[in-house]
Amino acid sequence: MKRFYVLLGVVAVVGAAAVWYGTRGGGVAVVEPIELGDLNDADVVSRALFAWRGDPDAKITIIEFGDYQCPGCRHFATSVKPFIDMTYVEEGIAKFEYRDFPLEQHPHAFLAARASWCANDLGQDTSGPQGGDPRKGLPLVREAYWEYHDALFRNQREWSAATNASRHFNRYADELGLDGGDFRRCLASDRHAEGVTASLMLGQRWGIGGTPAVVVNLGDGRPLMLGAADFGQIQAVIEGESEN
Amino acid sequence: MADAHLPHRNRMWIALLSLGGAFLALYLVAGNLGWTGPVQCGAGDCGTVQASRYAWIGPVPVSAIGLGGYLALLVLALLGLQPTFARSRLVAGLLFGGALAGLLFSAYLTYLEAAVIKAWCQYCVASAVLIAVIFVAALPELKRTRETA
Repeated sequence: MKRFYVLLGVVAVVGAAAVWYGTRGGGVAVVEPIELGDLNDADVVSRALFAWRGDPDAKITIIEFGDYQCPGCRHFATSVKPFIDMTYVEEGIAKFEYRDFPLEQHPHAFLAARASWCANDLGQDTSGPQGGDPRKGLPLVREAYWEYHDALFRNQREWSAATNASRHFNRYADELGLDGGDFRRCLASDRHAEGVTASLMLGQRWGIGGTPAVVVNLGDGRPLMLGAADFGQIQAVIEGESEN
Repeated sequence: MADAHLPHRNRMWIALLSLGGAFLALYLVAGNLGWTGPVQCGAGDCGTVQASRYAWIGPVPVSAIGLGGYLALLVLALLGLQPTFARSRLVAGLLFGGALAGLLFSAYLTYLEAAVIKAWCQYCVASAVLIAVIFVAALPELKRTRETA
């Protein structure tokens, strides 16, 4: 009998350790927008997360409201954005902003957006071109964010079809050399749920209905809603402005 | 009748396996109730199974029913190992009946995975195997229910 109780104790310890290991992420993984209450426009703007790159002093801002699970956004990220970067961002003519707009019909989109911000938290670079500029309301966006952003779109078909996307999200973080434990803990929590939800609210208040939605702010206070624009349309707006 | 005063070895197995099953079910309950992140699935398609409407019976996750069942079997098996209850026909009957109920419920869930949800959850499969072994271990209890005290 004694041997039996020892064995029972071993099963209890191993079982408890296995459950602890499996759930050690702690907290609740928030996978959809949260309730933020009735916020005024200024609160929504201040709480909304966004990523940016380019010259902080650039007069023109090209804004994309995107959803990581939307195929059109993948096309935009792989076929349109590279031209924007090359033609305008790297030339200092415009800066680019990416704002999350996770659509309800895409079950992994919100978690993917949170994952991108978890990656940003864990990036190593603390300064540099995207080091943030509080005076201009520009947040710190690390290179890890953009690497993760690109990985999400590049591998969209893989994780979009999966029922457990977090497994893929964890792997992309590992592949980018981010701290796996911290990333998993971040993903299995409510971190950045507020910022992503506020970004979604901001898009809705701007009248965004689908993704990708491109908005070009020419610096005159009148943002132009271009919707799912291709590079030619964006170019036409910016070049038109340059000629005026 | 030679073993009437000896601990029933099959009950030890039932206790050990039920304890293992309880931890398995506890992990799924934690995922279902949002105490932790999504259930991590190394193989299979836990997400589809856990997100299906069959993962809940009203407000109760199926995994919680499994947890309750495993704990009940554990308590009964430990009780049945005590000299006072070693020859109790009630304990024997409850052990056999509980294992049979668990097996039938698990068979139903396995059928749902295969034919309705068309996805497999590795933890559910492991639980189905566990309860099947527990049922086999509980077979001698059927005979004990007919024995006179």
